[in-house]
Amino acid sequence: MTSTAAAKIQVRNLSKAYGDKEVFRDLTFDVAEGEIVSIVGPSGCGKTTLLRSVVGLVNPTSGSVAINAQQVLEPTEGVAMVFQHFGLFPWKTVAANVAYGLTVQGVSRRASAPRVQELIDLVGLQGFEKAYPHQLSGGMQQRAGLARALAIEPSVLVMDEPFASLDAQTRDILQLEVLRIWESRPTAMMFVTHSIDEAVLMGDRIVILSGRPSQIFDVVDVNIQRPRERSTVDSERFRVVRDYVWNAVMKDTNRLVTEPDHSGQAASSGH
Amino acid sequence: MKHPAAESTTVRQAVPVADGRDSRPEPVEAAGRAPRSWWRHPAVVRTVAGLLILVVWQVVVEATAKSYVTRPTGVIKVIPSVLTEHLFLSDIGTTLTAVIEGLAMATVIGTVVGLLVGRLPDVRRILGMYVNGVYAMPIIAVVPLLTVWFGYTPTARLVVIVLEASLPVIYNVAEGARTVPRTYLEVTRIHRAPWWRVWFGVVLPASLPYVLAGIDLAIGRALIGAVVAEFIASINGLGYYILFNVNSFHEDRAIVALIVLALFAIVLRALVNLVIRRVLVWYRPV
Repeated sequence: MTSTAAAKIQVRNLSKAYGDKEVFRDLTFDVAEGEIVSIVGPSGCGKTTLLRSVVGLVNPTSGSVAINAQQVLEPTEGVAMVFQHFGLFPWKTVAANVAYGLTVQGVSRRASAPRVQELIDLVGLQGFEKAYPHQLSGGMQQRAGLARALAIEPSVLVMDEPFASLDAQTRDILQLEVLRIWESRPTAMMFVTHSIDEAVLMGDRIVILSGRPSQIFDVVDVNIQRPRERSTVDSERFRVVRDYVWNAVMKDTNRLVTEPDHSGQAASSGH
Repeated sequence: MKHPAAESTTVRQAVPVADGRDSRPEPVEAAGRAPRSWWRHPAVVRTVAGLLILVVWQVVVEATAKSYVTRPTGVIKVIPSVLTEHLFLSDIGTTLTAVIEGLAMATVIGTVVGLLVGRLPDVRRILGMYVNGVYAMPIIAVVPLLTVWFGYTPTARLVVIVLEASLPVIYNVAEGARTVPRTYLEVTRIHRAPWWRVWFGVVLPASLPYVLAGIDLAIGRALIGAVVAEFIASINGLGYYILFNVNSFHEDRAIVALIVLALFAIVLRALVNLVIRRVLVWYRPV
């Protein structure tokens, strides 16, 4: 899984600073074809900025990202993103939102209709094609966001805390649904989350960020068979990995609490 | 228990109250059966309040300045003759046409300038101060200059209206365009949308509620602009009709014109609200 030659996404010595404030420093890791890499770390550690640098929405201060061995300087073709706050256009119907990527590519509404319908069915939104986002629950909106991302048949899929603004029950359901969908068409996927359980459940590997500025504390091989199910969280291996990641993230948080001079910021107690 | 509605039954007159709703007679006995429910109804309270104002106006003027201040009864009496007066109808036509033309132009100008000011930091740096300054400035002060430049013509009036009405639209649209959620723009970038899709597909629709809020504010200012221009430049229209009639001791007729102006503003604003509810079905103010 840790191949470098065939890596779909290559992150090399990536650093980002806003003025004097260094967000992360010297990150190097790969994401292979058909692999899910979860990114975890304490709040404010720059997980989201890292994700935005990978897809070209943010320019890194130094280092580089390559997708398909092509350096990423701006958003590239075949890369799709799922956003924490869904990013659906409220003035477009669900069908028009799902079709957005295809519309931008110049595909006519009529030509994209079968594909759009297929995706709406895939994410379980049949019957809501003509609904507007405000008429949907958060979970349904994120289903539409996922369908929009999948519509362009991405070879790289990045998710920025996609379930963070959903209630716990919806989150549990959607985690497994995303896994089910991903398993039917595995792509290279980066998955940012602040939930350690979620990181273990989704990921083949977990990149743990810690420190200020953030650096890679460890990259953990999850080593749990797919397909993963609800019962996966009850397995011994899941527990072991989760506890290891938990301790790694918490150690960092505790260090911040006990060394208030480490940075000027209030320590976060969230995981 | 008080019966504030008791007066309303005795002094009920055929006066169209501003909101024009609910003038059904309410017999006093009804108060005995359901005293709370009916006289607390907003339409009843509003009608009663309006009638009370008219009564106070009538009584006070009758008692003090009868000879030179007009009374509601006087206004009502002249309504038929004003409404059939050819000059009045043509004045309504020219003023309201100018206001609608001006609002349309202000909407276009205001939206374009507002989007640019809101989205492009360079434009904001260059124009922001002027927009703020002109917004705060009383446009009335510019009218004499405009009459020199454009003559005592309807064009001068149109320019005043457009100046007055553009600024709230610019101001609102700039704010709307500036605060387009970052995620929307990231969605366009990740899909590598061309610039025109970003502007017309995202920035404009996301700012539409602000365009309409701007027009709502612009309606009042456009009417001010029209009336002021007519006052100062003696351009035929409702404003000049008011001025002319007041100067020739026909206050009654001036007040009828005033009511027409108010009704026009109410109708226009209702239209804007209708558009917000019907066209912007997706819009949910936070």
